[in-house]
Amino acid sequence: MFEFVICLEIGACFLVIIKNMFEIFKNGKKLLGMNARNLDYIRPYNRKKAKKLADDKILSKRMLKKGGIPVPKLLAKIRTVEELENFDWFSLPSTFALKPNRGYGGGGIMVVYGRKKNNRKILVDDESEMPLPVWIKADGSKVTVEDIKSHILNILDGAFSLANMPDIAFFEERLTLLKLFKPYAYKGIPDIRVIVFNHTPVMAMLRLPTKESGGKANLQQGGIGVGIDLASGVTTTAVLGKGKIIDYVPGTRMLLSGIRIPYWKDILLLAVKAQEVSGMGFLGADVAIDRERGPVFLEINARPGLAIQVANLSGLKERLERIKGLKIKTAVRGVRVGRDLFGGEVEEEVEEISGRKVIGTMEKVKLIGKNAVEIEIEAKIDTGAGFTSIDLELARKLGFNEVVDAIEHENVEYEKIKSLNKSERINIFKKYPDVCDTAIIHSSHGTTYRPMVRISMNMDGVEINARVTIIDRSHLQYSIIVGKRNLGKFLIDVNK
Amino acid sequence: MENISPLIKYFIQQGVPLDTVILLLMLPIVVTLIAFFRQVIGIKAFGIYTPAIVTFAFLAVPQLRYGVLIFIVVILVGMLLRFALKGLRILYLPRVAITLSIIALSILFLLSFGGAMQRTGLAAVSIFPILIMITIVEKFVAAQIEKGNKAALILAVETLVISLVGYYLASWPALIKGIVAFPWLILIAIPINIFLGKWDGLRLNEYFRFREVLKNLK
Repeated sequence: MFEFVICLEIGACFLVIIKNMFEIFKNGKKLLGMNARNLDYIRPYNRKKAKKLADDKILSKRMLKKGGIPVPKLLAKIRTVEELENFDWFSLPSTFALKPNRGYGGGGIMVVYGRKKNNRKILVDDESEMPLPVWIKADGSKVTVEDIKSHILNILDGAFSLANMPDIAFFEERLTLLKLFKPYAYKGIPDIRVIVFNHTPVMAMLRLPTKESGGKANLQQGGIGVGIDLASGVTTTAVLGKGKIIDYVPGTRMLLSGIRIPYWKDILLLAVKAQEVSGMGFLGADVAIDRERGPVFLEINARPGLAIQVANLSGLKERLERIKGLKIKTAVRGVRVGRDLFGGEVEEEVEEISGRKVIGTMEKVKLIGKNAVEIEIEAKIDTGAGFTSIDLELARKLGFNEVVDAIEHENVEYEKIKSLNKSERINIFKKYPDVCDTAIIHSSHGTTYRPMVRISMNMDGVEINARVTIIDRSHLQYSIIVGKRNLGKFLIDVNK
Repeated sequence: MENISPLIKYFIQQGVPLDTVILLLMLPIVVTLIAFFRQVIGIKAFGIYTPAIVTFAFLAVPQLRYGVLIFIVVILVGMLLRFALKGLRILYLPRVAITLSIIALSILFLLSFGGAMQRTGLAAVSIFPILIMITIVEKFVAAQIEKGNKAALILAVETLVISLVGYYLASWPALIKGIVAFPWLILIAIPINIFLGKWDGLRLNEYFRFREVLKNLK
């Protein structure tokens, strides 16, 4: 009997393990692995010619520019050793990026941040010519012309190109860092990787350079990838390097989630347009934001890495399969589909669809009373109330002194007017031109008879002409509540 | 060998040595194994050539441990030279040439050191497996430049692991007997590779790599 129980327990254990395994394998189907990326997406959707274009940075730069997509300026290119020997080093600006034309994974990129001021001592040694310029790298180390030359020789030799093919080196304008990103990025420029498939942005991440990555934003080199909600452009979860989940920038208290990427819609649009120009069906688009120029397209990537799934903590394959076969004609439509399908619920989106503003239960409101008096005040949004009501004191400030005096003077308590018929009731306030109407209001405090006046309200940028009741609210927290009649243009989010 | 296929007998009659026949028939098994490691498990190594050739180098060494020792020494010296040659700033091929030269000398010293320590097995290793293992350092240097030291070292370890598995598989007596008896069975490698070539599931290491994502998918 005892053995039987043990057997049962072992059996149950196995069942749990098998169930977990099954769960993992089932969820694994939502993820895009190397095999599926190569076999199901790169092969069928990226024709060889288009892939060649993506691998040739100078060519793709030219193509993108022709397609109306902003790209960093090409400063100079060096194709042969001869060109290298004859190169005019003084033509280079104090800051630039040196790249191999066919490099991949961010390898072989050298970025300099400033030129060192000429040192007199070198002048003495070198009588015949001006001393050659010296630049400074991200880590503060010096870069001489000799260093750059040897780096370019390695590039020409194919040390950084796919399959070690002989290559071309080129100098490119270095973009300037957006102030928003300054505390997050070590030296280099962060960029935004967007996976685009079938004219639709499918997943995105912000890539931040770190000390380990030497100012480069590639995850393979040790950068940080931060997932981005496609709908709002707000960052979510983050990964360091190829797989470590982090909350903060290492060594700081800078939270990585909740960063709102500026120009979000434009960035997605650029990514989709680049896909159209490139002729590839599936790609990774890298977009940076320049302080002056705004979104600038960096490069197209025919073999985007898979770490973006870790940064977003969600699977690419599942998303790609939902997009497969959809007929999407324009870039704008594709961007909308991507944001709708793969983004979280975001108020802007709701506002766009419904044409209504989302407000909270407390909202700042600007009241315009008689003689254009303006008062800004916190209002309670009350969907339980029909009319908007204001306090006596507030009514006075808005220029309705006469009406308030009348209320206090006429003694309009409900008990007293209950017996009057409608026209008799209205007659009470007839001599006051400011009163446009009266109303009997039933509330939790009892029933009251109130005069109403016309005012203008401005809430979250929406102008409302309202008829509001006046009542003593001095014992209540808010001197104004906004009722249903004036909330037609809004949606109320109780969490706001 | 009691059970020899007529096909194998024919090869032997024509003067092909039995060892050669077995090694050539083992090749499809070893390369299929490497393809399996890459596509299903996710162990990359330096492509398919390097682990295959290292497997056969191990098979040609009288004692496996000396083969492994030579492999490790080659990779270690290659790594040290990377740092030593960094300051020199020279082009790729000359750099590899210097690396190869110094590794050749190191191996020579290693062999004679083995002799001095009365380890005659080491010096008895024939030249071809040694040469094969020295030349794989080119792959190692290329990986160092492209992917960095750490990634290159991981690839080297992966190569060693695959080669060892390949070695044990190819020297497994039951398998050798099976091949000698039924050489046609080797053709199974082709459908297996077609399957591997169409396999689009996650690799085993990707379940590990994406563990955090898997936890979050519900």
